[in-house]
Amino acid sequence: MSTFSGISTALSSLMAQRQALEVAGQNIANANTVGYTRQRADITSIAGMSTPSMYSSVPSSGNGATVTGISRLGDPFLDARLRTATGSAAQLGVQAASYANLESSVGEPSTTGLSSQLSTMWSAWSDLANNPDSAATRAVVLQDSQAVVDRLKTLYTSASTEWSQSRSDLASMVSDVNTTASSVADLNSKILSITNAGGSANELMDQRDQLVTQLSSLTGATARVRDNGTVDVLVGGNALVDGARANAIAVTGAATFTNATTSAPPANSVQVVWASNPAVQVPLSGGKVAGTLAVLAPPDASGTGGMLTEAAASYNAVATALATTVNALHATGQDQNGNPAGDFFAVDATQPAALGLSVAITDTTKIAAATTTGGIVDGSLADKISQLSSTSGSPDSAWSAFVVKLGVDSKSATARSTVAEAARSTAEGLQMAQTSVSTDEEATNMLTYQRAYEGSARVLTAIDQMLDTLINRTGVVGL
Amino acid sequence: MIGRVTQQTIQRSTLANVQMNLAAAAALQNQMSSGTKISKPSDDPSGTSDLLRLQADQRAATQYQRNANDGTAWLSTIDSTLSSSVSTLQRARDLAVQSGNTASMSPTGREALATEIDSLKAQLMSLANTKLLGRNVFAGTSNAATAITVTPGTPASAGPPATPATPATYAANDVPGATVQRRVSADTTVRVDASASAVFGTDTGGVVDPANPSAFALLDKMAAEIRSGTSATGDLTAIDARLSTISAQQSAIGAQQNQITNAQTVLGSKQVALSAQVSSVQDVDLAEMILKIQQQSVTYQGALAAAGKSLQPSLMDYLK
Repeated sequence: MSTFSGISTALSSLMAQRQALEVAGQNIANANTVGYTRQRADITSIAGMSTPSMYSSVPSSGNGATVTGISRLGDPFLDARLRTATGSAAQLGVQAASYANLESSVGEPSTTGLSSQLSTMWSAWSDLANNPDSAATRAVVLQDSQAVVDRLKTLYTSASTEWSQSRSDLASMVSDVNTTASSVADLNSKILSITNAGGSANELMDQRDQLVTQLSSLTGATARVRDNGTVDVLVGGNALVDGARANAIAVTGAATFTNATTSAPPANSVQVVWASNPAVQVPLSGGKVAGTLAVLAPPDASGTGGMLTEAAASYNAVATALATTVNALHATGQDQNGNPAGDFFAVDATQPAALGLSVAITDTTKIAAATTTGGIVDGSLADKISQLSSTSGSPDSAWSAFVVKLGVDSKSATARSTVAEAARSTAEGLQMAQTSVSTDEEATNMLTYQRAYEGSARVLTAIDQMLDTLINRTGVVGL
Repeated sequence: MIGRVTQQTIQRSTLANVQMNLAAAAALQNQMSSGTKISKPSDDPSGTSDLLRLQADQRAATQYQRNANDGTAWLSTIDSTLSSSVSTLQRARDLAVQSGNTASMSPTGREALATEIDSLKAQLMSLANTKLLGRNVFAGTSNAATAITVTPGTPASAGPPATPATPATYAANDVPGATVQRRVSADTTVRVDASASAVFGTDTGGVVDPANPSAFALLDKMAAEIRSGTSATGDLTAIDARLSTISAQQSAIGAQQNQITNAQTVLGSKQVALSAQVSSVQDVDLAEMILKIQQQSVTYQGALAAAGKSLQPSLMDYLK
């Protein structure tokens, strides 16, 4: 052991404690930075030298301390848990929000909804049965029927608008995914070059992990950490980001509501595919994109397709039921001039029924209130039509069934979304508990490092005094 | 896992709790201010289903009330018209009895009797053509201008060829088999008219059936008999038959009126019951709601106070 070795030991401690204090300073500086993961200087003791010689029996102490690295106190398991929870919460959140939109456009139950307008129309027919000779009553029947027709159009149009909105949202989400994925790839390559050069890329990793969580929120992606510190981002097992390379995705399939509701499969569905290979769909397992795809899905035979296209199908069913049931009775009657009556409602076959429905009659005298066997002012046919609301297959029952199904679906979507959001919030809380900076803890650490620094300085002073005694005071006994 | 607690996690959870409490308060405020528990179907899907059905039932019941009120107007008009018709015919019967003493009557007296019978016929005719809101109440579903169409008779002509006089005929314009009905419940309609052919009789085919003449043809015949100096007492049986027919019609109208009145009573109580049901499904319980809001407000204030207290201290306050 050298006489001066203690000085270098003290120096190594001074340097290590100062570095550790700087890390604590960095932590405190980022106490409120979103996505920051607290860091810790890893201080390791330096072992003493042992001389491999026969008489080297003097035990030597260690040679001080050194900072071997700055570790990021994140937990990959908590990160993975947060990503999974985020993916499913985002997916269910999109669906719940779309259901809420649809519910508000449906506007039931209220005194102004379609069910109330249908009742008003049936009442007008009943009034017509009482006063078949009154032109005013006849005009009211036409107006109330027109109100129902207009309402169905509005409902269909609002479903169509919401679909188009979701479709363009999907396009911007997908371009967001592509931008974020290339940012992750860029960061991966920067991190790799910094760590290869022996530096600390902790802050870049924080940024990258945040972007990966964004990707999870968009696509339900999961991350796989490689040995070299980079991450691969996987969607359903396929690489969205593979080291320093990002694979772009794209939207194809139905572009308009008409495509989605009327085209033959598979042209009626919206798909997210790999940009490099448009024939292969991206196997999405969650995220906003998957949620939006579910919202945009085409209708199916069992009524479990996309909510908007199913709603449109229900509007069409109501319109068809209205036209069919009323026309079937109306055509058997005679109008106010004693002529055989035609159809009351017309349906334009080139359009969806809800949009193509119109009142075929403009002349009030052409409305048939009378059966062909009754007199001209017979109201029995109008009475029969007014009772259509309670028959099976009536537009009212179709509408009521749709509203109740929407309510049930929306309620369960909201409940599932709430649960998923709670799970996400818990996962985020756990992650934050692990990664967030505690200022109390950092203050304590600062205190520790400061004291250690002071102690090392004291050791240096003590050695200095010893050497001073040895060099300057030796041989001056008795002077 | 025992969580590590930092200022950030405290701040997060405090914020989450404050927001959760505020959201709950907003939901309660919304229910309180709108007064309804169901503002969208997902608030209570089964309640929504009930509500849609109950509201439709309510509107239907209101419509049935309107129908019943309209029917009452028809029935009371017909009832009073029939009463007047009975007294008119009763007077004609009295005159027929008087005409039994034609032998002792002067031609002027006979003419006076015949003239009164003519005016009674005119009166009966105007009763038969009674209108309600532009509709002939005795013409059923026909849109003819009057309930009775009169075809004037022809005087005898000496010829050649000689033709005997034909009496005027009176045809009722109601459509056979078609009646005016008012719907008073989902499965009940009540007839609210009486047909002229049933009440006053009709002379079908332009000839007066001597066995069953219309009331007007009968009165014509009586006047003609009295003018010609013969007694009209032979027509008493026919008048009595007509009177009993009208009375029968009147009692049928009374029965229909009862039916409508009953239906109105049932509809009235049904409307009350429906209102109560709708209210129980959709209306908020004010007392309960106020209590809940009060409770929520306390919780919210607690969360705010906790946020204010918990985020203040840190070790920095004590290190010098």
